[in-house]
Amino acid sequence: MSVATAPTAQHTRITGLLAATVSTDHKRMGLTVGACSLFFFLLGGVFALLMRTQLAQPDMRLVSDNSYNQLFTMHGSTMIYLFVTPMAIAMAMYLIPLQIGAVGLSGARLALAGLWTWLCGGLVMQQGWFASGGAGRDGWSSYAPLSNGTNTPGVGQDLWVIGVILAAAGMTVMAACVLATVARRRAPRMSLLRMPVFTWTGLVSVLMVVGAFPILVLALVLLYIDRHGGHIYTGFTGAIDYQDLFWFFGHPVVYVMFFPYLGAAAEAIAVCSHKRWFGYTAFVVSIMAFAALSMSVWSHHMYVTGGVTNQYFAFTSTALLVPAGIEYFDAVGTLVGGSIVLRTSMLFALTFFIQFLIGGLSGIFVASPVLDYQAYGTYIVVAHFHYTLFAGSIFGFFAGVYHWFPKITGAFLRESLGKLQLALMVIGTNLTFFPMFFLGNDGMPRRISRYPTHPGWGTLNLLESIGAGIIALGVLVFLINILVSLRRRVPAGDDPWLGHTLEWATSSPPPPLNFERPLPPIRSYAPLLDLRLEELDRARERREVTSSG
Amino acid sequence: MVPALVSTRSEYDHLFSIYVPIAVGVFLLIAIVVVVTVVVFRRRPVEGAARWHENNLLEGSYALLLACVAAFLLYLTFTAEHRVDTVANRERAAVTVDVTASKWEWTFTYPAYGFAVHSGTVGRQPLVVPAGEPVRFNLTSADVIHSFWIPALRYKHDAIPGSTQVATLLFSGGVFAGQCAEFCGLRHADMIFTVHAVRPAEFVAWAHRQGTGTTP
Amino acid sequence: MRGGAIPILAWGTILLVLCIGNWVWNDKPVSGAAATAAVVIVYAFGVALWVARPESVRRGPPDSPGEPEAVPQVSVAAAAIGLSVGCALFGLVWSEFLLYFGVGTLVASLGRLAIELRSERASRRRALRGTGPR
Repeated sequence: MSVATAPTAQHTRITGLLAATVSTDHKRMGLTVGACSLFFFLLGGVFALLMRTQLAQPDMRLVSDNSYNQLFTMHGSTMIYLFVTPMAIAMAMYLIPLQIGAVGLSGARLALAGLWTWLCGGLVMQQGWFASGGAGRDGWSSYAPLSNGTNTPGVGQDLWVIGVILAAAGMTVMAACVLATVARRRAPRMSLLRMPVFTWTGLVSVLMVVGAFPILVLALVLLYIDRHGGHIYTGFTGAIDYQDLFWFFGHPVVYVMFFPYLGAAAEAIAVCSHKRWFGYTAFVVSIMAFAALSMSVWSHHMYVTGGVTNQYFAFTSTALLVPAGIEYFDAVGTLVGGSIVLRTSMLFALTFFIQFLIGGLSGIFVASPVLDYQAYGTYIVVAHFHYTLFAGSIFGFFAGVYHWFPKITGAFLRESLGKLQLALMVIGTNLTFFPMFFLGNDGMPRRISRYPTHPGWGTLNLLESIGAGIIALGVLVFLINILVSLRRRVPAGDDPWLGHTLEWATSSPPPPLNFERPLPPIRSYAPLLDLRLEELDRARERREVTSSG
Repeated sequence: MVPALVSTRSEYDHLFSIYVPIAVGVFLLIAIVVVVTVVVFRRRPVEGAARWHENNLLEGSYALLLACVAAFLLYLTFTAEHRVDTVANRERAAVTVDVTASKWEWTFTYPAYGFAVHSGTVGRQPLVVPAGEPVRFNLTSADVIHSFWIPALRYKHDAIPGSTQVATLLFSGGVFAGQCAEFCGLRHADMIFTVHAVRPAEFVAWAHRQGTGTTP
Repeated sequence: MRGGAIPILAWGTILLVLCIGNWVWNDKPVSGAAATAAVVIVYAFGVALWVARPESVRRGPPDSPGEPEAVPQVSVAAAAIGLSVGCALFGLVWSEFLLYFGVGTLVASLGRLAIELRSERASRRRALRGTGPR
């Protein structure tokens, strides 16, 4: 396949950080978004630690009510708009072209513009901390009429709205480029049903981004107008319409924040079991259905409003358990009969599957309106979504990091530090989020800056705050691992794990145009495994021939 | 036969008693299967790893099984939801309370008796209701969305400006905490109220006393 | 390229079915409009691919691509476009000067983008003719 590189109009020699700024190499762009997302993760984590310190005991006044409201708003917004979602897109941008044997992203310039739009959005949103009156403070969902100009005046909230608009628009553009890449840039012989599992999870994610994120942009543009004299979200209908528009985005986004990490965990599990992923066809069908269903469940966030047909959304939401169950079946099917190696990536992947299950099952719980009439707006919901997003997706994220770090950097991450990180995070995560189920059922609402003395609440909240501290330690260990592993490199070759997919058939890190050697033959979704098995069989035949001859 | 009065608490507890054991069972099953599988297949020789990788018939059957579970849960859910949202509101209410939520207090008006009580940042007057009889609440808001939540009854409903939402609740005797459950701004944490569910005769006596005295 | 539009159109169709379910059972204009918009966007993407390359709806693995594809290494224009949009919208809230500055740099960046694209097209033509990139 011949390629022509396009020099810029002026031939400039730019290196280093500046190169990262203007590079249209999908790997560079993925790393830029990834690094910025990690920074936002740490920032959002600091907000969480401040909140958990405030809530450690009843009626604490460490931060003012107004500050607390900004903290939970910015924690949620930073984590969702600036970490988990963009990190998923970053992983897709980096890995998908490699996995499908492409040289780069389709529409790379557009993706770069999207990247900068997203990053500006993040910075604009955080700028709110410097505004008088503070940053955005109406929750990451910013319901109308609370978030209109009368009830939340001030620049900080405006900056939040604009920040989210920019971030969402940027992510939509980047996702569209990934979608086009999968459609147009697959290597010869890479049919759709030979694409790797991670690529498929990335594909359904970018489909959801492209379908749902523009609605968020619309909802928030209208909110901005509403805040500045327009009468958009007025009355009962206006309030419900805002929620309909917001959650039309707000539900699919949580699946965008799930699927790529599921894909990462699936890749780690398959490789560490030395077996290709089980039930590929059923998996592809189920995630397509899962993603489509996820676009049809959004009003389960609105059961208590009286403004939606609860039964329809209870139906679509409960139906989600069918494709979810298939995915678990496939995970178990991959493990059974395998040759399992418990690397850090595998341990994170297995923990992802087990912990996410708590999130998923509690999701089926709140999918039932009558159960949700108790759970909505309480710590039950907080527990549910932290189990899916943190105990689930983020553990899947770390599985992916430990799995692909050698490919991206050419060096291994330390296994010992990785396992320490895992242990700290498992303890911390469950200590922080499991008691929340009980607190919520006992009457503790969410988004409150302090709570009164109440039997058991002080103790449980203190445990949760301690758990948050342990999570922070785990993250610290992770950062140390990255530093140590890059400073005192233990070189990894092209394919340290006996990988299945094409990214392992090139150097670590990959060269600018991804593949310098010709691609191996692509006969399934695990081309390298096929080659290896073929080699194994041939060796066995040769042994039999020589022994019998 | 007179149908039993709808109790949100009972409906919740009934569903909870089915949903949660199923969830716990599924969790334990999958967690154990995963752990056992990992233990069994650890450190098998790489060349011995199985090559089979799909069984669409098995998966299809499993999907069908899951669909049946979903259908079962949905049947239970629809039945409960119908009772709480429709049947309860058709019951004859012993008293109606107009609830107006605002930043950051609750105003409970008893139209039949001509008085109102307030609770929240302004103070804490109890919401008194008769126990054992349906109490109708007409929920609205003066400014932003709030949510009327009584944890002991396992029920909440939003109070949205520009609308009146109806909820019918059945209280057993006792004192219950109530709280706003939809973030409504600066002092959302302080939008607290207390429900006193007393014998119907006591309630009527109390209401008459309030009605004839000065309206707070 | 081959078959690339298929998953997009297939997914759009599942969305359409669910959208119809939503209209029938839920019957709310804004809710239905959002669902319809998503279906339209997804179908539009798929149809655009189909129109651009008819084989994107044909099943089977891609055959070897015939013509060379341009792979840009660097694009100052794209980065500048993203930054300009960010600057302009930030200026909308924060300071009028930044709004005008952002719009100005956006126009300049679009101009630069035109230059970059023209240069890329010229390189590609040269590569096709066999003289190689300059």
